[in-house]
Amino acid sequence: MSGATDVSETAEAGRTLTVTVRKRLSAAFTLDVSCSAPPGITIIFGESGSGKSTLLRTVAGLIEPDAGHIAIGERRLYNSAAAEHVPAGQRRIGYVFQHLALFPHMSVAANIEYGLAHLPADQRRARAQAVAESFRIAHVLSRLPAAISGGERQRVALARSLVTDPVVLLLDEPLTALDHATASRIIDDLRAWNAAHGIPILYVTHTHREAFALGDRLVFLDGGRVVATGTPHEILDSPASEPLARLAGFENLFDGVIVARRPDAGTMRCRLTGPGPGAGVEIEAPLAHGEPGDRVRLAIRAGDILVAVEQPRGLSARNILRGQLVSLTREGPTIHAVVDAGARFQVDLTPGARDDLRLGAGDHVWLIIKTHSFRIVSS
Amino acid sequence: MDWTAIGLSVRLAALVSVLLLVIALPIAYWLTFKRRRWTFLAEAVVALPLVLPPTVLGFYVLLAIGSRSPIGRLWTAWTGHGLAFTFQALVIASLVYSLPFAVQPISAAFARIDSSLLEASAMLGASSWRTFVRITLPLAKEGILAAAVLSFAHTLGEFGVVLMVGGNLPGVTRTISIAIYDQVQAFEYQAANQTALLLLVFSFLVLAAVYALQRRPWSVSPL
Amino acid sequence: MTYVRIAALAVLVFAAVASAQPPPPALAVAAASDLQSVMPALASRFERETSGRVTLTFGSSGNFFSQIQNGAPFDLFFSADVDYPRRLEAAGLTEPGTLQPYAIGRLVLYASKASGLDLGRGLAVLTDARVRRIAIANPEHAPYGRAAVAALTHERLYDQVRARLVLGENVSQAAQFVQSGNAQAGLLALSLALAPALRASGTYVDVPAAFYPAIEQAAVVIRASSRKDAARQFLTFLGRPEIVQLLKDAGFLPPRPAAAAR
Repeated sequence: MSGATDVSETAEAGRTLTVTVRKRLSAAFTLDVSCSAPPGITIIFGESGSGKSTLLRTVAGLIEPDAGHIAIGERRLYNSAAAEHVPAGQRRIGYVFQHLALFPHMSVAANIEYGLAHLPADQRRARAQAVAESFRIAHVLSRLPAAISGGERQRVALARSLVTDPVVLLLDEPLTALDHATASRIIDDLRAWNAAHGIPILYVTHTHREAFALGDRLVFLDGGRVVATGTPHEILDSPASEPLARLAGFENLFDGVIVARRPDAGTMRCRLTGPGPGAGVEIEAPLAHGEPGDRVRLAIRAGDILVAVEQPRGLSARNILRGQLVSLTREGPTIHAVVDAGARFQVDLTPGARDDLRLGAGDHVWLIIKTHSFRIVSS
Repeated sequence: MDWTAIGLSVRLAALVSVLLLVIALPIAYWLTFKRRRWTFLAEAVVALPLVLPPTVLGFYVLLAIGSRSPIGRLWTAWTGHGLAFTFQALVIASLVYSLPFAVQPISAAFARIDSSLLEASAMLGASSWRTFVRITLPLAKEGILAAAVLSFAHTLGEFGVVLMVGGNLPGVTRTISIAIYDQVQAFEYQAANQTALLLLVFSFLVLAAVYALQRRPWSVSPL
Repeated sequence: MTYVRIAALAVLVFAAVASAQPPPPALAVAAASDLQSVMPALASRFERETSGRVTLTFGSSGNFFSQIQNGAPFDLFFSADVDYPRRLEAAGLTEPGTLQPYAIGRLVLYASKASGLDLGRGLAVLTDARVRRIAIANPEHAPYGRAAVAALTHERLYDQVRARLVLGENVSQAAQFVQSGNAQAGLLALSLALAPALRASGTYVDVPAAFYPAIEQAAVVIRASSRKDAARQFLTFLGRPEIVQLLKDAGFLPPRPAAAAR
């Protein structure tokens, strides 16, 4: 059976995208990345300005790097040592642009058929029809891009790139302009297609939701460099360092001092210290290296904190903190609450929760936090 | 009404605008998409006819094609008569004089095209030529039309260069603007008025048509 | 590749247009502007007699001189100054033996009726405060302009009135300045002052011939012409007594017989 595994591994290696590039864009920014993407969806994650789009464009061939090499399996697309640079149009790479770049003067059908010019007309039409059906846009084939909905436009962009049977697919924040429901459906379509075809897909995003929904693997970019690779869960849920924690969107970061260690329970007590109001609440956090008196940094997601309006009893959570609601602000579907419980905690709630509990600024509340919701991060 | 002069002017303007499209498209393409550090110098050269007095242009064109110049002598050897003071000389002078009116609207239209469209075309395997024909040109339609119409209207109204290079020969180089000048000098004011009015109305209609087709205000101007 | 084809097509169109232009079968005459009023009539008469066609282009003699030097395809050159044809002859650009004086031009002081000037005072009237602008032909290349400056200098008026001079491209344009009211007075050709438009709107007085060198007007056939016979015919036609009379009526003196080229 190892023979079979070897064959499938070799097959996979033959389709894996490997990228090592260096590109200086300005005095302040240099892209310096080395990563690989096997068949499947690899999330390229990072804030704006971290180099995600630049990375994508070097893979596409729209930007020539200063040095490095790019290959799909054995097939080299770029090699600075041998001065090889396959032009973008010959790489057989599909690219879905951030703003889709649908040709506004051509019908949906013409857009989709654009990359199939080398085929006879009837084959072009047949393939376009097939891919349009699989993306559920066959009913708008004769319309112009301006005359269809945002979700339909997005699917046209995908269909246009995928109908050419690319060996790699690149997507640059494709779902930012869409509402959740539409985006979710497209994510499902993409995953279905991915399951059927098995090519490396690089998906650039800065939203957690998409990363978790789509990604088998995640490459985290910051300042033009790869700061972490792994699964979305590994990187975004358990950030190993503070910069990563910040980037991964942990809203609460505290200074603390280890008060006592409880190795048998696997926890330790810490006192949250530091400047700012209320430097004196003790909490229970997962056990980490260090002795009492050592300084630590603790991170916790706003969405991991529960709020109660009565003192809770009989709960498994180890941290029950009394505090006062300082402010409530709404941001889209989320309510951001700031609670002073000896330290300032940002807590995320649903509007429904706020209404049911009749929460308002000044209310006395209890915060409920599981031990393992706290993450110890190194600075 | 000097119909000969009108016919001559219309023929000149039509020929010049067609030729200018052929010349201006590659120039505009190069100025927009193949920019080098020194492209600004080329832009200045193209724009020169906008600021130079027609007499300066006429002078240099005459120098370049006159019977004592290499081009003039070649032409004489080939056809048996001189190049200056012919209809062809007017065409050449007009090509120079109206060049910026053709290049700039096209160049501006090219520059307005979202570069991601051109990149998308490249990613889908299209060659530079195919991208140019199927994406760039159709999306620059307005600018190309404006270029044709502006060069036509501008050539129609030329005076100084035509006078210097053409020599005001009736039926050959006496364009409508020169005919008006002659009529005024001969005190034929009514005839001059009629001809001038015709030119005014025609130019106005042409410009109105161009601006009617534009979606943005003043998006078509020679500067 | 398609672009190359389109470009080639355009070049072919150009060539087709270029070759579809045979020289017009008409005698191309370059005439000094002071002949504006009389030449058209003479030309139609000639056309009727010979059933040939004559095209006329009016302008300043100096302008025509440079154009002909640059190969302008005129057949005949009627200059308002014998000097230009002589220089063309010296340069070998004319048909030998065809240089022919055809008239003597006369300079007049012309004032519009609206100006209310008393021309009895002669050139001195130009110093009147009502005369804001005086039109003359450009002395750089127009014989009448040079004559005007000579006359003003002779009367020691040139420096005084210099700032008020407006220069016409040729004497006809100078006349047009006065006729349109943009200049109150002008030093013009008699032939133009006699034209209906000017006669109606102003008065003139002769400038004494002693004030300026004679304006000897001469014509010549251009060597590069392909219609030399017709050109010679026209020159002969001009020498006829009835034509000479027509020229006199139009404001020209007959040419001095001894002023012919050697």
